[in-house]
Amino acid sequence: MTANETIHPTAPATEIDASCKLPLLALLVGASIWLVIGSVLAMIAAIKFHAPDFLGACPLLTYGRVAAAANDALVYGFCLPASLAVIIWVFARLSQTVYALPLVPVVAAHIWHLGVFVGIASILLGNSTGFAWLEFPRGGSILILVAFVLIAIPTAATFGFRRDRTLYPSHWFLLAALLWFPWSYASANIFLVSMPVRGVAQGVIDLWFGNNLLFVWFSLVGLGVAFYFLPKLTGRPLYSYFYAQYVFWTLVLFGTWCGIPAGSPFPAWIPTLSNFAGYLLIVPVLGVLIITVKTLAGAPVTSSSDPTVAYFIAGLIAFIISGITLHLVAHNDQLARITEFTWFGQAQTQLQIFGFLAMILFGALYYILPRVLGFDFIFPKVTRAHFWFNLLGSVALVIPLAIAGYEQGSHAYNLDAALPALRVSSMGLLLILIGNLLFAGNVLAMFLSWKITLVKSIFSAVTSPLKAVEVKS
Amino acid sequence: MSDEIKSSLPTPPPDPQPEAVQSNLPIWIVVLTLILIFIGGLYFDQHGGWFQAQVYGPYASADQLELYQPKSGAAAALAHGKVVYEQVCGLCHGVDGLGKPGQAPPLAGSEWVTSAGFNRLAHVPLVGVNGGIKVQGKDWNMAMAAMGAALPDADLASVLTYIRSSWGNKASEVTGEDIHKIRSTLGAHPAPMSGDQMAAMPE
Repeated sequence: MTANETIHPTAPATEIDASCKLPLLALLVGASIWLVIGSVLAMIAAIKFHAPDFLGACPLLTYGRVAAAANDALVYGFCLPASLAVIIWVFARLSQTVYALPLVPVVAAHIWHLGVFVGIASILLGNSTGFAWLEFPRGGSILILVAFVLIAIPTAATFGFRRDRTLYPSHWFLLAALLWFPWSYASANIFLVSMPVRGVAQGVIDLWFGNNLLFVWFSLVGLGVAFYFLPKLTGRPLYSYFYAQYVFWTLVLFGTWCGIPAGSPFPAWIPTLSNFAGYLLIVPVLGVLIITVKTLAGAPVTSSSDPTVAYFIAGLIAFIISGITLHLVAHNDQLARITEFTWFGQAQTQLQIFGFLAMILFGALYYILPRVLGFDFIFPKVTRAHFWFNLLGSVALVIPLAIAGYEQGSHAYNLDAALPALRVSSMGLLLILIGNLLFAGNVLAMFLSWKITLVKSIFSAVTSPLKAVEVKS
Repeated sequence: MSDEIKSSLPTPPPDPQPEAVQSNLPIWIVVLTLILIFIGGLYFDQHGGWFQAQVYGPYASADQLELYQPKSGAAAALAHGKVVYEQVCGLCHGVDGLGKPGQAPPLAGSEWVTSAGFNRLAHVPLVGVNGGIKVQGKDWNMAMAAMGAALPDADLASVLTYIRSSWGNKASEVTGEDIHKIRSTLGAHPAPMSGDQMAAMPE
């Protein structure tokens, strides 16, 4: 018996879930609203390729502002807070203790969403910093950095209070994610916005950060969460501990150097080193493929019994595709000559956001939310429909974007060549938007019914003592 | 305080946590990683410019960059000499100046090339050599045509300057005027000299 076990006894699952309820709701209600706002903004940006003067008279909704705001609303508004919500729950469950200091993330979640609001509003008003993925001006970026740290500290504390001292693979991935974002976001903001470095280094830092957010951070969270749920839902152990460890270290070591295109105007050693690392990414991608296949092998895929399994399988497949395209296309000298600086990069980004991370987060949240709140979804059948909307939407968004990028690159960067495929991709975005509306509707309906029962119980609590007072008087 | 109450109650079943198989990591994936790192290292060696800040794509090394830089003065003569040497002389004497056994003696470190004066050296390409000469103590018994007779004065001068200052050779430069003077002492069609005649020439 360690001191830990006496201070923090193993809590039953219901108690653990209840301790996560308020942080999760605070993070997810805002996140699902940002998800809808982000997809609507992305849709507005996409419509401009069909009708260039659509909303063109309104400076707030010109393409440059809307496209940046859409990406940031999806990544900082949805992906990050939803990831944090899932990490909070997974850490509490893995530690088998109630969540430490649940009110701190509740406050932090409001700071976070305020920061995203400030950031998105600034972008639409034309006050973005001009650096991709770091568009939020100082007000917004400081708020979300503070909020992230405030959420990371009690989550790490919950990790520290874990009953079982041995580490499960998800622990490494998710703990690394908690450290990775504050480090990379703070460094990038310091060197680009607060104390800007000069010249060539700015572009290098911006590309470095974009890759660390969209590839490394997303992969850490997505794989960590998938490695938790996949064995849990299929009832088979993860295959294996050492493969997962190998994937973790190779991903962290090689993933962080990628993302500098071969033709970018930097000293030759920077893109060459980036290509070298991108080439080595084949190792973690192969590892994930082996883990997925070997963990699932022989297990009846019980998507009929639990619809969330399909989300994790689809998400892992998206990761493998994304990893292979990153290795084969983005970091291959010959292929990159065609695809770099075209829509192909956007296809990669959307695959990471919708095909990989959001897919896994949706699956995790459909599993977590009914357990945390103690009642089922208001529209349970919608959870399965959402899977198909998100899957088909991702396919119909990413493949045309990749084709558009290829066409653009093989026609001397002429956007006219890319336009037909680009217009097809709007269809995928529309499907994703419908799916996201279903998700947000479900989460908000759940939140409202929880709020109503809460108000009712307060109301009955307030009304019953009144009678007692009357009796007394 | 609530612990006492809890322990008296039947504890609810703990949430089953996922587990991972503790099998060994197969060695092939480690070997594959090392092979990929090796291939990637070769790729970096060929394209990376070894961390030199001046080297930008599509150039791959500082040497390559140097080659494409326009030059002036002595450096230009030297660069021109290298080009002419590689076209005219390099085939037999080798681009590395080490010569080829059975074809041509070495120029690198050769006492014929690095002599203080260049009168004797200039005669070799201007008139040609017929018969054995001794280079670095080794006999070379073969003939060389007057390869330099057709070259303009400036070209031949830059070739001689190049071979006198490359591959570790450190001798004075030769100008076009010097070659012109030597050439004007020769007739229209000078006969090739024998090796002994050549060796007897003043440096």
